[in-house]
Amino acid sequence: MAPALCAICKTGRALIKRPKNHTKLCKSCFINIFEDEVHHTITSSQLFYPGEKVAIGASGGKDSTVLASVLKTLNERHGYGLELVLLSIDEGIKGYRDDSLETVKKNAVEYDMPLLVVGYDELYGWTMDQVVETIGKKGNCTYCGVFRRQALDRGAKMLGIRHVVTGHNADDVAETVLMNLLRGDLSRLSRSTSIVTGDNKSEVKRSKPLKYSYEKEIVLYAHHKKLEYFSTECIYSPEAFRGSARTLIKQLERVRPSAILDIVRSGEDMARLVPGESASSCGGCKSKTETPVAAPEDDAGGCGSSNGRNPGGEMAAMDKQLRENEEAEGLEVDITKLVLESKNRQKEKQRDSATKNGGGNPKPTTRQVLGKCQRCGYMSSQDTCQACTLLEGLNKNRPQIQI
Amino acid sequence: MESQPVAGSLTRPCIKCRAQEATLDSRSQTVCRDCFAKFISNKCIKQIGILGKEIRTPQGSTRRYLLGLSLGVSSTVLLHLLSENVEFQLARSRAAPFELTVVYVDSSCLFTPRSPDDSDEDKPDPITAETLEQLRQRYPRFTFQRVPLATALGLRTIDWSTIPGLTAAPSPSPSQTTRLLSLFDHLPSAAARADILHILTRHLLVSSAQTAGCHALLLGHSTTALAELTLSETAKGRGFALPWQINDGPLSVASYPASVPPASLLVYHPLRDILRKELAIYTALTSPPLTPASPSHGAGNNGSIEMTPRPGVVVSHKDVSIDDVMFRYFAEIEGNYPSVVANVARTTGKLLRLLGGGEADGEPKQGLCGLCGLCGMPRDEVGDRRWRGELGIGEGEKGGGLCYGCERSTRG
Ligand SMILES: [Zn+2]
Ligand SMILES: [Zn+2]
Ligand SMILES: [Zn+2]
Ligand SMILES: [Zn+2]
Repeated sequence: MAPALCAICKTGRALIKRPKNHTKLCKSCFINIFEDEVHHTITSSQLFYPGEKVAIGASGGKDSTVLASVLKTLNERHGYGLELVLLSIDEGIKGYRDDSLETVKKNAVEYDMPLLVVGYDELYGWTMDQVVETIGKKGNCTYCGVFRRQALDRGAKMLGIRHVVTGHNADDVAETVLMNLLRGDLSRLSRSTSIVTGDNKSEVKRSKPLKYSYEKEIVLYAHHKKLEYFSTECIYSPEAFRGSARTLIKQLERVRPSAILDIVRSGEDMARLVPGESASSCGGCKSKTETPVAAPEDDAGGCGSSNGRNPGGEMAAMDKQLRENEEAEGLEVDITKLVLESKNRQKEKQRDSATKNGGGNPKPTTRQVLGKCQRCGYMSSQDTCQACTLLEGLNKNRPQIQI
Repeated sequence: MESQPVAGSLTRPCIKCRAQEATLDSRSQTVCRDCFAKFISNKCIKQIGILGKEIRTPQGSTRRYLLGLSLGVSSTVLLHLLSENVEFQLARSRAAPFELTVVYVDSSCLFTPRSPDDSDEDKPDPITAETLEQLRQRYPRFTFQRVPLATALGLRTIDWSTIPGLTAAPSPSPSQTTRLLSLFDHLPSAAARADILHILTRHLLVSSAQTAGCHALLLGHSTTALAELTLSETAKGRGFALPWQINDGPLSVASYPASVPPASLLVYHPLRDILRKELAIYTALTSPPLTPASPSHGAGNNGSIEMTPRPGVVVSHKDVSIDDVMFRYFAEIEGNYPSVVANVARTTGKLLRLLGGGEADGEPKQGLCGLCGLCGMPRDEVGDRRWRGELGIGEGEKGGGLCYGCERSTRG
């Protein structure tokens, strides 16, 4: 049997079946199309301006390694005029970062980019090891998750860089969409899909140029470009909802490869359907205890547990919380009333929103109803952000703080 | 019913009535059979009451509803509950609260191998035909109809010109069933076939409701089915139309070729507050018990897959649909975290129902008010434009009159 020929150049041997749509491509056409698609995303979303200093959040993992490689390539090829630096966070867990930091250091040399490493001790005054010492092993995931979410922004701000790009890929975004549907968290859903969080006015803007790139293609790209990366096995298991969503995505991808992209598309569209941010936060639970923290990124992935419970417990805890709410408020009755009332309101709103959305601003606007933390200036829905709350507790040397 | 035992002699009295033995678990309360049945029935009747208030009928005329029956658990229970409601009113010498037409869409032609000399165009599936006949006898006040799936090809609520595989002139005057099978053969995957089957079934129910002059279409989706629908439509790229699909309320129904403005039909899901597992328990509580036919193959009329995955059977993922994946996924979550399941549909219900929004740019409307030619849901023209921009695909292509999800299902 003669080897199949590449669907694009018709001359090279088709060695790669694209995970995204199963077209058969040769190695160089695959690399080209992968880069071209990222380039398209960058230009159509106008992610950068010439001369901009951009920090690549570098963990040594595949996503950020590929991001660094692709950005370097595109920056030279298309003359973006970007000043690219690698920014790594050291959580201060003895031994944990050693290997991945080595990888990042090698990348820095290979890509000829400056590497900046910022430690939790500089950012928060505490290393993770010190946190564990103080509060014990139980619940340290809370701190790790909360601190990690802000670390890149704080680090960039410290270094005077106003734009951080992260390696979040299409699988991550799709996962976050399904996770937030499962959690019933519409406000996070609406924030998680946009390619940029924050804007030129905010202190640090974040974006994800690989938003439409499949994880499997990122792995393939790294493989064929012979990129060196460190497969980070997160030391904590992912929170239950994310883990559950991840499993589901893998199953869907097997059934229909486009499903990941289709979920991203759905998520973007649904983001425009979320009625006023604050009103919709945390559907169902009256959000006294479960108030979602207004982090601009909730897609930390891996060790992103937001509440420090053991993984299986998170879903059980939410289930319990919801049931208590139902009992306490006779919610079943209220809901139907609400549906009816809101139906009439929606009819009016519909016309407004339809015109609003139909106007010249087709991009999902990040709703900046969020305030700022009064201590650190980080985006937050409360006066004091979650990290500062945790820090306050740590500094008082109290063992456990209720979020 | 058994004679009431003395409360003191009960080993575990029902938490609600305290008069009977609690044998069932209902949302972490132990209750007796009667109280469980009443709980289910009340949930349904409440929704029917809400629907009733939405419809104003002139004095002396009755509300008319159409029930989509898949013969699976959910819609069979709904049929029974509706009958109970009617009987209850009649027994109190009140007028029947509504008239009901029950429609079963027979899609067996897709699943039974046809021999070449099979001249019989429209042969009802014998098992479901029998079940339908039993229901007809059990609920004599209601009108029952069996509608072959192939008749969907004659519907004007679908813009057939948008669908590939039908546009090419087929062999001389083939039968409708042959044409239907050829349509399904042209679909790119099992996922697409399951999706289109749902859509055609829904269209047949909607148009049967219109033909019968009904005020509303009732669908048997449980809480669990609505949660499944939320995630599976999201996975199919139809997030924009979700609020139109899972909420109760009026839906626009187009008619092609587009000469008249779209009509409107109320679509309601009276079992939206009941979990699928609760409906399954309920089937054993009626007398005689309800015996859903659970069609051997997938798609029920109510849009949910009512197929029990057979343990031990290895299915190639090529034959699995997105709906199958969701069915299995939620079966697991429903078991352990029922309130999480309920919260999914409840939250998604808060999303706004938007129309395509293309008119804001002063563009001429494509098709009927931006409705998708296949699924009939509003098309997201704003999202389509942005998507073309951000992904650089389909640039220069004109919108084919289909929504993103239907493009995916028909063209791959
Ligand atoms: Zn090639
Ligand atoms: Zn703060
Ligand atoms: Zn009882
Ligand atoms: Zn459609």
